[in-house]
Amino acid sequence: MKRNPLTLIIALLLILIFGFLLFSFQVRTTDVAVVTTFGSPTRPITEPGLYVKAPWPIQKVWTFDRRVQNFEDRLTEGLTSDSFNLLTSVYVGWRVSDPTAFFPRFAGSANPISAAETLLDQWLGNAKTAVVGKHPLSDFVSTSDNGAAFVAIEKEILEGIQSQIRTNNLGLQVEFLGIKRLQLPESVSQSVFDRMTSERKVLADRFQYEGEAEAQRIRSDAERKAAELLANAESQATRIKGIGEAEAAKSLAVFQRNPDLASFIFRLNALESSLKERSVLIFDQQTPPFDLFRGASTNLLKK
Amino acid sequence: MNDHPHSPDGMPDPGLPPETPMDAGSQALAEALRSSFAIVKVVMVLLVLLFLASGFFTVGPQERAIILRFGRAQGEGEKALLLPGLHWSFPYPIDESIRVSISGLQQVRSSVGWYAVTPEQELSGAEPPAGATLNPIAEGYALTGDANIIHTKATLTYRIKDPVRYVFSFVNASNAVQNALDNALLRAASRFRVDDVLTRDIAGFQEVVRRQVTQSAERQDLGILVEQCAVQSVPPRQLKDAFANVLKAEVMRSKVLNEARGSENQVTNKASADAESRINLAQSDRARLVSDVGAQAERFQEILPQYQDHPALFVQQRLTETLGRVLTNVQDKIFLSDSANGKPKELRLLLNREVPKPVTEEKKP
Repeated sequence: MKRNPLTLIIALLLILIFGFLLFSFQVRTTDVAVVTTFGSPTRPITEPGLYVKAPWPIQKVWTFDRRVQNFEDRLTEGLTSDSFNLLTSVYVGWRVSDPTAFFPRFAGSANPISAAETLLDQWLGNAKTAVVGKHPLSDFVSTSDNGAAFVAIEKEILEGIQSQIRTNNLGLQVEFLGIKRLQLPESVSQSVFDRMTSERKVLADRFQYEGEAEAQRIRSDAERKAAELLANAESQATRIKGIGEAEAAKSLAVFQRNPDLASFIFRLNALESSLKERSVLIFDQQTPPFDLFRGASTNLLKK
Repeated sequence: MNDHPHSPDGMPDPGLPPETPMDAGSQALAEALRSSFAIVKVVMVLLVLLFLASGFFTVGPQERAIILRFGRAQGEGEKALLLPGLHWSFPYPIDESIRVSISGLQQVRSSVGWYAVTPEQELSGAEPPAGATLNPIAEGYALTGDANIIHTKATLTYRIKDPVRYVFSFVNASNAVQNALDNALLRAASRFRVDDVLTRDIAGFQEVVRRQVTQSAERQDLGILVEQCAVQSVPPRQLKDAFANVLKAEVMRSKVLNEARGSENQVTNKASADAESRINLAQSDRARLVSDVGAQAERFQEILPQYQDHPALFVQQRLTETLGRVLTNVQDKIFLSDSANGKPKELRLLLNREVPKPVTEEKKP
């Protein structure tokens, strides 16, 4: 029987796969790697893809996660420049940027990432203490500057930790940093509460007095306005009447033609209007036309 | 397997000539081997097929997929994303397909500024008992711009805008978003007054938190789109009453002010109505006066010629006519005749207030 070609293909494939595994390695897009030759780092790989290497034990590949790691440091106490105790905690986003530098420092530990974070924690503590000591409390909390000083503080801490990393050539990079907690020591919180309580009291009292005073003002204002309105109306009414009298006076000229008759008619009118309702009149015999009773009429009859 | 017909040594075994047919046993063995070899071949082909078929995968409606060939993402940016449907890639270790959920809304909560609660307390809405002080390790809070302590928490709803960045650039992207939210909350609180955060400008505070977390997400290139940000703030449990009293005083103040404004309206409205009627009265007085006098003047002109003709008679006539009219209107009329001695009589009146009718009594002096 002749040798089966399929067998040959399979054998070749197996050898290929074996060689492939022995002489190549992949770096995923989320990783960086470093190739060591007899234990010393010789080739950093920061781009993902397929790579060739000499088989173990000559060369060995170490890969590290290149993605941004979230790390939050401990709450540490620092003294501000105006002597307030302030507890701060920051978070950083950091990643492995240079595997050649990172490898010798951390590859020995079981978990390189957490080993690096232990170091970061320590340095962050130092950087924070230094930066907090340069600023007064009003740079952290302030109603006036729109938080510019707060951002500046974060930037200073970031620069501090970055220069520390550069000096030590750790092969990692801090991408961003922010303050995550800003608190006061437990003993101080009591005095803050006391101050807040008295502030609340002042505020409540102020609201009460302000309200009463303002209400008083509104009321007296209203009284004043009402009086003004009435006074204005009164003066306007007087003016109107005056105009009316002036207009009426024009007609008075007519009466000048015979003042006696005018006065007689005025008196007649006055008499009539004054006796219009519910009045009692008492006459004697002198008053015309009742003088008739006295005999005027009889006189006339006698004639 | 059978021996090769031409052995390298070239010396055939004398006991077993090569041409000699195999005995029955070895023949059966060869047969069995041949058939099992065929099965192996089929199985191997099947395995290869299966291997290749394992490269099929589906992408769901709320997903996108990315293929990594030898660890490197295929395509750049948007093109790297495979849309929903059936796809094929080489199986591992050549290709690797990674599915990314872009589904709807993701949510993170920030509780770094909130007091310590157990999950049961949070569910029931109960508050843990308050101590006199706040332990900064256990209890979270934020400092406001006027150095007050408040508790504040936020919930951020966001969408994944750049799945490649979100998945491949962060170990835990949602954690990074949460950190950004914590930071934004703290920073926003540090520039607001306590009253603004708690009552006066809740929406403004929330807006600042939202803006800052959006900015942070852009600066840190988290690949997300902020949809919504809800913030809740309360005063410290220790000072609940003090804060409630201020609120009460504020409510009281607005009540007092409203009452005052109400009475202001009433007083001024009444005054302006009074003023109006005063003026109207004056107007009508004026009109009446003018027309009265006018009418009288007119009448005077009419009667003047009559008077001039017979003055005495005219006067007499007018007087009598008027008296007659007046007397018909008068309610009570009392006539006193002259006394015999020619002296005037004395008259006494008893006036009763209730009854306007006078009672008269005559007495002879």
